[in-house]
Amino acid sequence: MFLALRELKFAKLRYFLIGFIMILISWLVFIISGLANGLSADNAAALLNMKADHFVIQPDSENKLNRSQIPEDKWTEIKQITAGTGATPLGQKMLSVTKAGTKNKMDVTLFAIDANQFLAPVITEGSHFNNTDKNQVVVDASLKQEGIGLGDWLQDPETNQKWKVVGFTEGHTFSHSPVVFMNLKDWDDLIRANPQLKQRYYSAIALQMTPSQADELKRDVSEIDVITKEDALQNLPGYKEEQGSLSMMIVFLFVIASFVQAVFFYVITLQKTNQFGVLKALGANTSDLARSLMGQVILLTVTAILISVGFTYGVESILPESVPFRLDVETFFLFSGLLLVVSVLGSLLSLRRIANVDAIEAIGRAE
Amino acid sequence: MKTKLAFEDVSKRYGTGDNAVKALDHVSFHVNEGEFVAIVGPSGSGKSTLLSIAGVLLSPSAGRLILDGQDITNLSAKEMTKIRLDKIGFVFQTSNLVPFLTVRDQLLLVAEIAKKRGIEAEQKADELLAHLGLAHRRNHYPEHLSGGERQRVAIARAWMNSPELILADEPTASLDSKRGRQVVEMLADEVKSRRKAAIMVTHDERVLDLCDRVLTIKDGKLIATAGMKAASQPLHSHH
Repeated sequence: MFLALRELKFAKLRYFLIGFIMILISWLVFIISGLANGLSADNAAALLNMKADHFVIQPDSENKLNRSQIPEDKWTEIKQITAGTGATPLGQKMLSVTKAGTKNKMDVTLFAIDANQFLAPVITEGSHFNNTDKNQVVVDASLKQEGIGLGDWLQDPETNQKWKVVGFTEGHTFSHSPVVFMNLKDWDDLIRANPQLKQRYYSAIALQMTPSQADELKRDVSEIDVITKEDALQNLPGYKEEQGSLSMMIVFLFVIASFVQAVFFYVITLQKTNQFGVLKALGANTSDLARSLMGQVILLTVTAILISVGFTYGVESILPESVPFRLDVETFFLFSGLLLVVSVLGSLLSLRRIANVDAIEAIGRAE
Repeated sequence: MKTKLAFEDVSKRYGTGDNAVKALDHVSFHVNEGEFVAIVGPSGSGKSTLLSIAGVLLSPSAGRLILDGQDITNLSAKEMTKIRLDKIGFVFQTSNLVPFLTVRDQLLLVAEIAKKRGIEAEQKADELLAHLGLAHRRNHYPEHLSGGERQRVAIARAWMNSPELILADEPTASLDSKRGRQVVEMLADEVKSRRKAAIMVTHDERVLDLCDRVLTIKDGKLIATAGMKAASQPLHSHH
C-alpha cells in the first residue's frame, strides 16, 4: 500500500473524479433498488408478509389470485385431507369504498380470512375482529392518510354494505392499495350480493406446508392447482413488469460500474507501463504491483460505496411519504459486495498488463 | 583487488535460426572493486543488451557471468529479481523516478520493495540525501526538481539497497554539460569511497575522463579498451 496511498494522495483530482463517478453510480444503484423494493412492498407487502408458502387456486387462472375461484365443496374436501391444519381459505376482491357519509372513493383490496388462522394480521392499533361478529374490519394503517380512523365506517357503494374499522395493521398493501381484512361471514354476504351466485367460493386456499406435501395435495384433489407464494407474487398485476425494468437498470449500472473502473485503471496502467518497468528493474514483483493496484481499486470502491450509502439515507429522508422507498441492510451488503466484485473484475485487465511489463523496458530508452 | 563483475565469453542472441540476431558476441571483461567503467558505442551496438545482462534483467545465451563471487549465469526469474534487489543499483535516464513519490519516498520505496522499511531505512535515506546535497529537497516531488537534482535522487536511490554494482544508463542524457559532469563526478566519488563497482553506458564523451576505463562496443563485440584516468592500466590487470 506504500505506492497505492501515495499515488492517491498525489493524483487527488484524478482519483477524486473517478471516485465521484463511482459514488454516483453506486448511489443510483441504491436509490433504484430502494425504489424497486419500495414498489415491490407497496404492491405486494400483504402477500410478502403472509405466513403462507403455497396457494391452492383454480386451474386456468394463470396463477392470478384475483381470477381464481375455489368453490366451497373443494375447500371442504381440502379441509378433510389436511385435517384443518396448515390450510385456510382466503377471499380476495378489489373494491372501491367510501368513508360512510362522504362521497370520495378509495381503492382497497379486501382480504377475507379466518380470524383464528395464520392469515390473521398483527394488530398495531385497536382490536381484532372475530369469526362471529359481523361488519367489523381491520385495515392497513395507510388508510389513515385518507382520513380513516378507529370507529369509522367503510361503505361499498354498490352493495351498500358497511363495515366498522375496529383495528389497524401495518405493512399490508396489495396491488398498490391498502388491504381491508374481514371475516368469512362478511365475505359470504358480500359475494351473495350477486344474485346469480350458486355456491359460495373463495379466491384461494393458503397453505403452510412443505413442497412435497403441496404436491401430494395437488394429486389428491381434482381440479385444483397449487402454486408457490413466489408464483403468486410474480403474477400480481404489474409486479413482474415493475420489478423487471428496475432490475434491468440495476444490472446495467453494475455493468457500467465495472467498465468505468476497468477503463480508468487500464488507461492509468498503460500510462505507467514505463514506471512499472522501472519498479520491476528495482526488484519489485508483479504480485507487489498487483497488490498496489488492487489496494487502490478496493479503497476507491469501498470509500465510494460508504459515501453513497450516506447519500442514499439522505435521499430517503427527504423523499415524500407517497414515494415508496425501502432499503434493508441485507440489500446494502449484497449490492456493496457486488459492486466491489465487479470493480475488482474490471481491474483484472490492468493486472494482465502489469504482469506483461518486462523490467528490461526500463533500459535503453534513449537509444 | 577483488573482482566485482566478470563477463566470461558472454554471447546473446535474439530469435532463432536464420532470423537470429547476435547482440553480444563473445564479450569478456572484468570490473574490479572501486572501478568505474564506461561503455560507449553507436546505437544498436549492444550497449543496452550488455547493461541488461550485467543488471540481471536478461540471461546470456552463452558464456558465464559472475557477480560478487557468485555465478549468476542461469537463474530463474525470481532469483534474478532477488539479485537485482540485493546486489544492483540502477541509475536510469531522467524521468524514471516515480512521479508521485517525494524525494525521500523514492528512496524508501527501495526499502519497501525489499520489505525492510523501518527506522534504519529512514536514517539511511536521510544520510544519503544529505550526502548528495538533497536534504532540503526531501519532501519535493520530481516535477519540482531540476534535471540534475533528479539524477542525484536517482543516484541516491541506487545506493539505497547497498548494492555491489551500480549500473547507469545514459545518466547525462537530459543534462547540460556542467550538470552532467557533476552527476557523473558524484557517481565516481561514491564508487571510490564505498569500494563498489560501476558501469555507465553513455554517449557523452565529455565525461569519459572521469572513468577508470572505457570499453568500446561495436556490432556486439568489444573492440577496444582505453584507460582514461589510468591509461597505463591494461584490461585484466588484476587477476
